[in-house]
Amino acid sequence: MKSALKLETGCNHDMDENREQKLALFYCERTPESSEQDKQSLEKKYGNSIRLFPIPCSGRIESLHLLRALEEFADAAYLITCPEGECRYFEGNLRAKKRVQKAQEIIKSIGLEGERIGIVMNEHTKSLARQAEEIMGSISHLCPSPVLHPHRS
Amino acid sequence: MITAEQKPIDEIREMIAPYKRILALGCGSCVAECAAGGEKETAMLASTLRMAAKIDGRDLLIHEKTVDRQCVKDFILPLDDIIDQYDAVLSLGCGAGVQAVAEIFPDVPIMPALNTEFIGETRDQGYWVENCVGCGDCVLYDFGGICPLTRCSKRLLNGPCGGSRDGKCEVDPEVPCAWQLIIERLSKFNALDRLEKIYQPKDWSMKQGLGPRNIIREDQQR
Amino acid sequence: MSQLKKILDKGDLAVTAECGPPKGADPEAIFKKAELLRGKADAINVTDNQTATVRMSSLAACGLLISAGLDPVLQVVVRDRNRIALQSDILGASAMGIRNVLCLSGDHQSFGNQPQTMGVFDLDSIQFIQVVKTMRDEGTIWGGEPLTKSPELFIGAVANPFADPLGFRPVRLAKKIRAGADFIQTQCVYNLDRFEEWMNMARERGLTEQVNILAGVTPLKSSNMAKYMKKRVSGIDIPDELIKRMEETPKNRQRETGINICVETIQRLKEIQGIRGFHIMAIEWEEAVGEIVGRAGLLPRPSFDQD
Repeated sequence: MKSALKLETGCNHDMDENREQKLALFYCERTPESSEQDKQSLEKKYGNSIRLFPIPCSGRIESLHLLRALEEFADAAYLITCPEGECRYFEGNLRAKKRVQKAQEIIKSIGLEGERIGIVMNEHTKSLARQAEEIMGSISHLCPSPVLHPHRS
Repeated sequence: MITAEQKPIDEIREMIAPYKRILALGCGSCVAECAAGGEKETAMLASTLRMAAKIDGRDLLIHEKTVDRQCVKDFILPLDDIIDQYDAVLSLGCGAGVQAVAEIFPDVPIMPALNTEFIGETRDQGYWVENCVGCGDCVLYDFGGICPLTRCSKRLLNGPCGGSRDGKCEVDPEVPCAWQLIIERLSKFNALDRLEKIYQPKDWSMKQGLGPRNIIREDQQR
Repeated sequence: MSQLKKILDKGDLAVTAECGPPKGADPEAIFKKAELLRGKADAINVTDNQTATVRMSSLAACGLLISAGLDPVLQVVVRDRNRIALQSDILGASAMGIRNVLCLSGDHQSFGNQPQTMGVFDLDSIQFIQVVKTMRDEGTIWGGEPLTKSPELFIGAVANPFADPLGFRPVRLAKKIRAGADFIQTQCVYNLDRFEEWMNMARERGLTEQVNILAGVTPLKSSNMAKYMKKRVSGIDIPDELIKRMEETPKNRQRETGINICVETIQRLKEIQGIRGFHIMAIEWEEAVGEIVGRAGLLPRPSFDQD
């Protein structure tokens, strides 16, 4: 099983058989169906795989938050914002976009894939749960982060 | 303010390679203003370096601390309490800050994380531009508040040269011709005749000094 | 005595041409160009690391021209030398028999093949003119210390009627004259209307009486050259009709058209009050100078007695 997985994904780290990606998900509080209840049921569903961080506006995200998430526990860190042009504070989501880009540049400079950090500008106003599911799908091809699981030679 | 930019990460990684316990030291003044070495940037750099070390399977401890101003002895001295925990300091101060710390702690290796660049202003958010070269003999009054030594690419005091085109400098179409600006500004004040006189050669010895320039004020001493 | 000065003092039209030194140490390169220009111009400018590109020094090349029996104009830019070196070169030039100097700012170092160098710009061109005049007329270096022998030099400066801001250009010309310029060579003229406008402004200020203005001309080699110069070289104004005229000429006859335009320009410039001569800059096309000067009715040139 281990070796088959290795072939499929090309990851060259030791992997637990049932290991899932760990995602840090930051999201604007205006994301649809993202109440405290929704948050709790999501956390129940995904267990340890997703940690959720609601924020009053996506513009409050700092590149540092994304970096620290990857440093501490996450294979990937994503941000959900309101659609372009619909930020309650007008430019919050645009600022957020730039900070996400900055964080992506930084992780690429040390050899991590840029896709470990991402932004979803909630075009179709999907629910938090739906977004989370889609994001988990889009990062499933990533190897476990070499920050958390250093290559053992 | 003094502006700086962070060195490429590979250069920093190479510098810190021999050390295992590093203090990343930020500065809350100029370099915070230009988003290169303030508390936030220091935290980001430290996090990045820790991740890089983990990827390499390397043992590395990096702690972060930011002082108000890294170029003032009184702000550096309190570091004495913690400096022994580290085998090197990675300073995110400007060149003045790095050296001030090195002066107080001469036995601790210190590395600059930034490339210090120029004296300038924050002309707009995210845009810093040089406007002073520290010549030691300010002539801004004569030129309507626009420094030809800094902003004219050829430091002309009797400009403009023949390379001024559409109000831009020959070296770069984005760079305004300082002399165009000076002429426009002085015209506004009806002081254009100031430019009829031949401005005499600059005394550059005020800028060069004999060794590093210094200022001593007895009325400010303890 | 400067041949250029002699002719201008007489009130005749003067002709100067340009010679670019080689990117190497071979003196033959200079001697070859010298022969192409001998008898076609009264004095020959030697450029100083033009476009911030390393070439044989202007001072050395001028020395070679002296040995070939010609009257050089030493071009000196302030980009590469501080006031010690500049004054030193002035003394050396005069000692070698060089009798004309042209004081310029110089193209910025970023244009050339040593962009990492430090641009000196200790003095600007106007301050430098003043320094040379002080050395010549007061016999001292800048600051008053006496020289054992004053340099003997006819002092020139550059004027660019086509650079911005246009309204300020006559002020700058006046400053150069006040600083000590004896003659002016202008940037090459294609746009005669604009040039006449500048000359009118200069004449109104009385400047054409105070200094010898030599109008610059450059023959176009091709339509591509015309387009390049218009777009890329600051301070050059080529009217669209001229570009069109070059473009409409078949490629193998474009040089001929370029020379025709040059000759026509000189004829028109002769009509302008205050023009005392022409400065022909045929870059890497020194052979064209003879033809241009001949067809413009400016031959033969008065003979040159080196004294």
